[in-house]
Amino acid sequence: MLHVELVLQGLVNGSMYAVVAIGLTLIYGLLRILHVAHAGLYTLGAYITVLTTNATGSLALGILAAMLVVGLCGMLVYRLLYEPMLERPPYVALIASIGLFICMEESYRIVFGPYGSSFDMPRLGERIALGPISIAAADAAMLVGAIVLLTGLAMLMRRTRFGVAWRATVTDPAMARSFGIDTIKVRYVNFFIASVFAAAAGSLVAVLNNLVEPTMGSVPSYKSLAIIVLGGLGQVGGTLAAALLLGVIEAYGTIYAGAYLDRDAIAFIFLIVVLMIRPQGLFARGS
Amino acid sequence: MGAYELTLVAVVSINVMLALGLNLITGFCGQVSLGHAAFFGTGAYAAALMAAAGWPLPVVLVAGGVTAAVLGLLVGFTSLRVREDFLAITTMGVGFVFVGFVRKQGWLGAEMGLTNIPDHGLGDIGFILMCLGLVAAMAAISAHIKRSWLGFGFAAVADDEATARTLGINVPLYKLAAFVIGTFLAGVAGAVYVYFTRFIIPGAFGFTVSISILSMVIVGGVGSLWGVIVAAVLLTLLPEFSRVINDYKLLLYGALIVLTMRFAPDGLAGIVTSLSRRLRRSET
Amino acid sequence: MRIRLKYLALALSVTGWVCAPAQAQDVVKIGFHAPLTGFAAADGKSAKQGAELAVAQANAAGGINGKKIQLVVYDDEGKPENTIPLANKLIGQDKVAIAVSGGYSGPTRAAAPVFNRAGMVYLSAYAIHPDITKAGDFIFRTGMMGEVQGRAGAKLMADMLKKKKVVIVAVNNDFGQALTAGVEEVAGKFGLNIVKKYTFAMPDRQFGPLVAQVKADAPEVIYAPGYFFNAGPLVAQLRAAGVDVPIIGQEGYDSQRFIEIAGKASEGVIVTTSLDRDSKSPATRAFIDDYEKAYKDRVDMVAASGNAAATVAIEALRKAGSLDGKALRDFIRANAFETSIGKLSFNGLGEVKKPVQVQVVKDANFHHYAVIDDLVLLAPPEK
Repeated sequence: MLHVELVLQGLVNGSMYAVVAIGLTLIYGLLRILHVAHAGLYTLGAYITVLTTNATGSLALGILAAMLVVGLCGMLVYRLLYEPMLERPPYVALIASIGLFICMEESYRIVFGPYGSSFDMPRLGERIALGPISIAAADAAMLVGAIVLLTGLAMLMRRTRFGVAWRATVTDPAMARSFGIDTIKVRYVNFFIASVFAAAAGSLVAVLNNLVEPTMGSVPSYKSLAIIVLGGLGQVGGTLAAALLLGVIEAYGTIYAGAYLDRDAIAFIFLIVVLMIRPQGLFARGS
Repeated sequence: MGAYELTLVAVVSINVMLALGLNLITGFCGQVSLGHAAFFGTGAYAAALMAAAGWPLPVVLVAGGVTAAVLGLLVGFTSLRVREDFLAITTMGVGFVFVGFVRKQGWLGAEMGLTNIPDHGLGDIGFILMCLGLVAAMAAISAHIKRSWLGFGFAAVADDEATARTLGINVPLYKLAAFVIGTFLAGVAGAVYVYFTRFIIPGAFGFTVSISILSMVIVGGVGSLWGVIVAAVLLTLLPEFSRVINDYKLLLYGALIVLTMRFAPDGLAGIVTSLSRRLRRSET
Repeated sequence: MRIRLKYLALALSVTGWVCAPAQAQDVVKIGFHAPLTGFAAADGKSAKQGAELAVAQANAAGGINGKKIQLVVYDDEGKPENTIPLANKLIGQDKVAIAVSGGYSGPTRAAAPVFNRAGMVYLSAYAIHPDITKAGDFIFRTGMMGEVQGRAGAKLMADMLKKKKVVIVAVNNDFGQALTAGVEEVAGKFGLNIVKKYTFAMPDRQFGPLVAQVKADAPEVIYAPGYFFNAGPLVAQLRAAGVDVPIIGQEGYDSQRFIEIAGKASEGVIVTTSLDRDSKSPATRAFIDDYEKAYKDRVDMVAASGNAAATVAIEALRKAGSLDGKALRDFIRANAFETSIGKLSFNGLGEVKKPVQVQVVKDANFHHYAVIDDLVLLAPPEK
């Protein structure tokens, strides 16, 4: 039973990583930007969720507000920061993004205070029993939330005009333009969707921990970079698999390797080992 | 100069050494590293163990550099296998693995760190002179490399690996050389740090340190020797001169990085170059 | 391009502002540093507010022989190397009479030798590294050592709660390491059986795998050193998983934020700490009431510790008869001090001697549970 629960808990953490990292991978896939400040938007989403929920009493409204506001912020970040840098070497955007992330964390500390915030009423504290195995309602919400979001993304990519336009733009922007696809618009929508994912992840984590803090994005910021590399930069399916796998590996690592290594180092040991064997990433197609 | 100014000079010197080391790797040779603090830390821990065991200062400095360079060589090999974005993240990973490993090692003091480090025996002024001497030596080495065949090779690799290869440049060899020399400097800086604080903990070599070293190189202007030195001095002293805006200093630090990348991606060096070019144009 | 340069110049000039503090002759200065930015900013803010309150209270009561007290506050960012110039600045530039650390172990351990060499008294409010006071005889610690508090935790579990089978889940830093060592040190004496030990990182908020494992270990009691931001989610997740054995926390839990985060799950959690919320002592009552009035926020252990260290500093400045370092040192060494965390006196090493408060969470507040005043068990090291 213990192992079933460990795997389950690993999948809960992994699905959280997945929702954050999918947004990053969408952005990398299209523009080759390593968007570290994505985790700053995730934190913003968490704060908006908690503050709106406390003000209105509705968690659904809080999550909706977070997704909308953060989605727009993501587009703004693209317009003001990244768009003028696209012709520059990739490290320019990376460093700018790190700077922006520092600014965001500091702004949250100054505006919301260093102590963090919680829901007035803790949410989903109960537990759901599934035969001999039980799972906390908040964990279940995380899993279900991730499945809904990722399925939604898959539908969007496969079934809609945007999906076709996105894939065409990734494969060959010039060709896409010649077919009349507005590649500029694709970029904005791309940033909007990626940021909505960051906000959703922030909301789910806020519910899970009943705690949002200015620095809550720092671990996801670098860990999700490791995940998108493992997933083979820009591969949505690979990113998902890498996130879940990492969640489970960490679950076991916490218990069995805790005496030798920090949990947060596990992701990078895994990363370095994989890159030495497969420099193009674990799940990259071809090379 | 009082004790305050002297200790400030020591902190600035250590940061300039770190920035010069990273400038060799990222600036001259174009290999973006987000894990420079790991080499700094490796040198510091090696130096702390050596110093505590009673080795004299010069041996400790060299040992710190050599230990860091050995790790640098290993990481350099990874740079041969992965392309640039992957390398940035791999080196970041090396930083996290280093801290995650040291935190759990009883023989390295784990979370309590190492405290039994003897005095350097140079006196306050002597120590500062040593720091400044090391900075000058490292700057001179950097300047020499930049003008030499090695520096030409680095620049070729940084510019375009494929072209460098067609020119007959042994790309892997140059990359490894950049990593070994750059991390050696970081290791020496680590040894100096050990004598300065006489106390080290794993947290002093974390990701934020790597980021702040990289910002010095970037704000100064990637590859520009004097730009990087000026930026390292300015960014280190920034918090000292801004006590009045204590609460906002990290915010301003972040904003400075963003604004530099957005409006002057070639850093201080780029600003000066374009200014002087315009001056010259207006004269003619 | 011209506009771009203007932006940059503006940014540089804003950041380059130099502050020239007003130099008044009729003030006595107390130096203070704490992490006001970075990962420990929450504790830094509490410690600073606690110390500021002590200064405000003392100034309202006439200052030091008619002179006003001024707290000179710097941000140490939690970095050891930054704190060395900062300590030198407090000594040489600001010319403070005495200094207080509201910071963590790293900065405090790095600064202690600087103050000791200058012959200036330096009081550490809550940093727990054992080597801090070993820097010399001008260095004092008003907070409890981690090992001492760990020993108190062992007594609480084995003697008072009669639980012998314990699992330790500790934050992976100096705090968690020292507390764990304290429990292990006296486990044999109390017949405690430490079944398993696990660690988590300071940024961890999700403990799913640990919770599943602890549940499988089936301990009688859980000893879980950590901070409120770890402890809130950890306790909530343990309780949600149906683990209902007693959970023992330490001073890191001692914040109203812990109760807000964990909600109902926090009920019944017992912590060893310094501050007794139900104390009748006038010093403690004045601290709790004034703090809540001044900052519109609830007190926590860190604020109380910052307050207590500053109070000792002020008392010494008032009564030692001289602002000279040696006089202050000898006065602190020879006397006992009434503070918000009880009556404090110091041993030969500069370590505080005081009882440990045991508090329990009841009706969403910390309340008195017991006091451990076995001074043999709680004796800090002498060298």
